[in-house]
Amino acid sequence: MLESYFPVFVFILVGIAFGFAPVLTGLIVAPHRPDSEKLSPYECGFEAFEDARMKFDVRYYLIAIIFILFDLEVAFLLPWATIFKEIANTDSVRWFGFIEMMVFIAILVVGYLYAWAKGALDWE
Amino acid sequence: MLTLSHFLILGAILFAISVVGIFLNRKNLIIILMSIELMLLAVNMNFIAFSHYMQDLAGQVFVFFILTVAAAESAIGLAILVVLFRNLKTIHVDDLDSLKG
Amino acid sequence: MEFKTFVFYFLSAILVFAALRVITSRNPVHAALFLVLAFFTASGVWLLLQAEFLAMALVLVYVGAVMVLFLFVVMMLDINLDRLREGFWGYLPMGAIIALLMVGEMGLVLGGNYLGLFESSVRQAGADESNVQAIGRLMFTEYVYPFELASVILLVGIVAAVALTQREKRKNKSVNPSQQVFVKARDRVRVLQMPAEKRD
Repeated sequence: MLESYFPVFVFILVGIAFGFAPVLTGLIVAPHRPDSEKLSPYECGFEAFEDARMKFDVRYYLIAIIFILFDLEVAFLLPWATIFKEIANTDSVRWFGFIEMMVFIAILVVGYLYAWAKGALDWE
Repeated sequence: MLTLSHFLILGAILFAISVVGIFLNRKNLIIILMSIELMLLAVNMNFIAFSHYMQDLAGQVFVFFILTVAAAESAIGLAILVVLFRNLKTIHVDDLDSLKG
Repeated sequence: MEFKTFVFYFLSAILVFAALRVITSRNPVHAALFLVLAFFTASGVWLLLQAEFLAMALVLVYVGAVMVLFLFVVMMLDINLDRLREGFWGYLPMGAIIALLMVGEMGLVLGGNYLGLFESSVRQAGADESNVQAIGRLMFTEYVYPFELASVILLVGIVAAVALTQREKRKNKSVNPSQQVFVKARDRVRVLQMPAEKRD
């Protein structure tokens, strides 16, 4: 059963190699002659004004929240799409599969409209 | 041969680690939230293990709903944390004593 | 030892190590990254249990979205780390006793006849029967009301998060008179006494 995941394993290995190879090549091939000027953070030529680690803005957080909403929505859509033909019509309800997903999406659209109306999607 | 016990004991160990995490980091709200996420992971592990060994997919459907609830919970929890930090400039648990008489 | 068993122990070791680092690391960013590792490894364990859809959902939803949210929050707040670590190890005995009690209890209940409880004589799912389809079939027929309720929970989540964190935008630059009348001259102007210096 595990052998069916062999392609996934190959992809993980290739991904790790792709990430590490440039860094390792740079470490091995490039010359190393550091001095204090080279190691200091670069800010258009003058001394750095502030710490390199600065606080993130809260707007990124709002975008991330909206991202979670749609991420989960897609995660729900995927199994629905694979079996849509089977549940499209049940004995009692016509268009059952379609209607249930439309109700689901309609409820989530309310949240989307709320975020939109409150200005969570505006950058300025 | 992997048995149900293997997975259940792994889940129990994970759950216990996250309980210790809540005790150790009782001043740091962010790590407490992370420990809660780990706890939910341990619970989900048990659900999936039972679902596999009893051949009942309802457990996996339940885990998917738990994932949904946990995502909403961490979003709201972190939002409360952000508001708390904005008002009090701290997330130290001991400083949250405004309601103390 | 069977290869699958070896994979299980390998993944479990990484998972337990990552979980321990989550609760002990000094830097919340490191804790969040170790939590990512824990989720990733857990999805590997779930693959062993043939829960392919949930393993992928865990990586997509948790590693992709929820952990990004955690990292944003950690980087958004600059926290006095040393104060948060005060008396960190002092709580270890208490926590360890409770954790060991819980492991003991669960071990007694679950591992009573270790290696004998529910032998893995489970029918292996055929390649033609997809886990995603099986879950979908169950979720969209039998569990359709919980499915619709999940969207309500997501709605509550987004409305609460936006309402809590979104600040009211300032539409115009009007002043607040009630605050304005309280302004004293000494709040705004500072008169300094400086000795005159001779210029050379």
